[in-house]
Amino acid sequence: MRLQLKNIGQTTDADIRFGDLTVFVGPQATGKSIALQFLKLVLDIGHVQEEMTRYGLDWSGELPRFFDAYFGEGMSGLWRQGESKVSWAGHTIDLPRLIGRVRKNKVESAFYIPAQRVLALRNGWPRPFSDYSPGDPFVVAEFSEKLRVLVEREFGAQEALFPQPSRLKQEFQDMLQQNVFRGFDLRIDRSRPQKRLVLGPEDHPLPFMAWSAGQREFVPLLLGFYWLMPPSKAKTRGTIEWVVLEELEMGLHPRAIEVLLLMTMELVSRGYRVCLSSHSPQVLEALWALQRLIAYRGSPQALLGVFEAPNTARLRKLAETVMAKRAKVYYFDPTTGTTTDISELDVDSEEAGGDGWGGLSEFSGRVNSAVARVVANARRRAEP
Amino acid sequence: MTFRNAVQETPDLRGAWRPGLRALGTDSRHVAASDPRTIAGSVNIEECLKKSRKNERQWDYAVGHKPSNRRTEVVYWIEVHPAYDHEIKVVKEKLNSLRNWLRTNAPRLNEMDSDFVWVASGDTSFTKGSKQVRRLADGGLSFRGGVLKLPARFEEP
Repeated sequence: MRLQLKNIGQTTDADIRFGDLTVFVGPQATGKSIALQFLKLVLDIGHVQEEMTRYGLDWSGELPRFFDAYFGEGMSGLWRQGESKVSWAGHTIDLPRLIGRVRKNKVESAFYIPAQRVLALRNGWPRPFSDYSPGDPFVVAEFSEKLRVLVEREFGAQEALFPQPSRLKQEFQDMLQQNVFRGFDLRIDRSRPQKRLVLGPEDHPLPFMAWSAGQREFVPLLLGFYWLMPPSKAKTRGTIEWVVLEELEMGLHPRAIEVLLLMTMELVSRGYRVCLSSHSPQVLEALWALQRLIAYRGSPQALLGVFEAPNTARLRKLAETVMAKRAKVYYFDPTTGTTTDISELDVDSEEAGGDGWGGLSEFSGRVNSAVARVVANARRRAEP
Repeated sequence: MTFRNAVQETPDLRGAWRPGLRALGTDSRHVAASDPRTIAGSVNIEECLKKSRKNERQWDYAVGHKPSNRRTEVVYWIEVHPAYDHEIKVVKEKLNSLRNWLRTNAPRLNEMDSDFVWVASGDTSFTKGSKQVRRLADGGLSFRGGVLKLPARFEEP
């Protein structure tokens, strides 16, 4: 699957061939998020139009107005008539024409977890789509609405949201308990007129505003994973084939990121195509390890060892499945507005962004070189 | 003191100075300089010391360099070695031998500001930002992946 974007916003030429797991890296404001939202748009254009219409968003068939509604207020300038071009699977998409009329095909195939996911909860409860203003990005409002439906309908009268044995493997629950919730349960508090999510026991519930920043970031993400992992025997949810996850690491400690990376691999092993954006060196280090383990025929246990995950039969199976998949990494170059395939993660690449892995390990390299030089010469000077 | 003079004043290295990266032979592919004219010659250390200090593991090479921001030349002590976890001990042993030799037998070279660099001879089992590399840095050894790119500048240590 290939997505090409030309002359859209800050992107002059992006050419992305997706793997089973695809990661976008690059400095801030280089077009990663726009590319991810375009992916959702080309996959789900009929569904997006239907949802926007259902919630009263009107673009009068005009592309600039549609962009303001879909990408968010002020984004109509992304598209430059006559210059901008988007292609999917090698075919140019006539976006102005497509936006001009509502599509018949309304199947949704991509689930989008936006970077602004913390906004999905207000006072500890998922906000409905209608709670957002017309200028808010569609993917944020839609994600929020999905969480609301999940919590209100699928969990029904249940109280406990975490632990939740029917949705998550016990191993993940144990790791999350240790690294994110630290002994607290997440549950629905119905003791007040308005329902809310709280952490902790019934007699001492912690409301949303008392959660740690990491917990506030994590809970919408966890609910997103629940949505993607239905309690039935089905491995994936309905027609969803793609998962887009922006900045998986946001607000989280490296140990929590490790668990999330493993849970992301669970999504890949279930058959979803997962596409991430990230500013975390840890994400690329995990991918680097995955690729090297595959290249040297490492064992599934070795992959689990990277995450300090329990060596259980279920997780070994997960690791084995992931090691048969294909990962891709793209660097979004701020100077040229282009993308570079850095999937090899070669530490000595001369390609733009390849050395230093798209800028994510440059700092570590500089830190080590500076320290090594100072230590070596200080010792030399101190010697008699 | 230039690198070449310091080498010539070191009895163990007499006659071993070579122009450019010539002393590195095929390993010269592991070193790159944006301006080759700034390379002030090289020496194959292991070749020079293997007979006189045969009980010790020897460091591979020394490369002189004239940074753009300094009047004096500096030395890059380069070990081209497989970059695996179990080789860390070996490289540290070599570094200790080199330091002892510099202190006792090569005072002129020991006076010059230096970088001690491990360059991977092949594939690498640790990343530039890994804990292993931080530990090496804490011991005064800089891991630079498969190619040492000599920077134009050498900041005061």
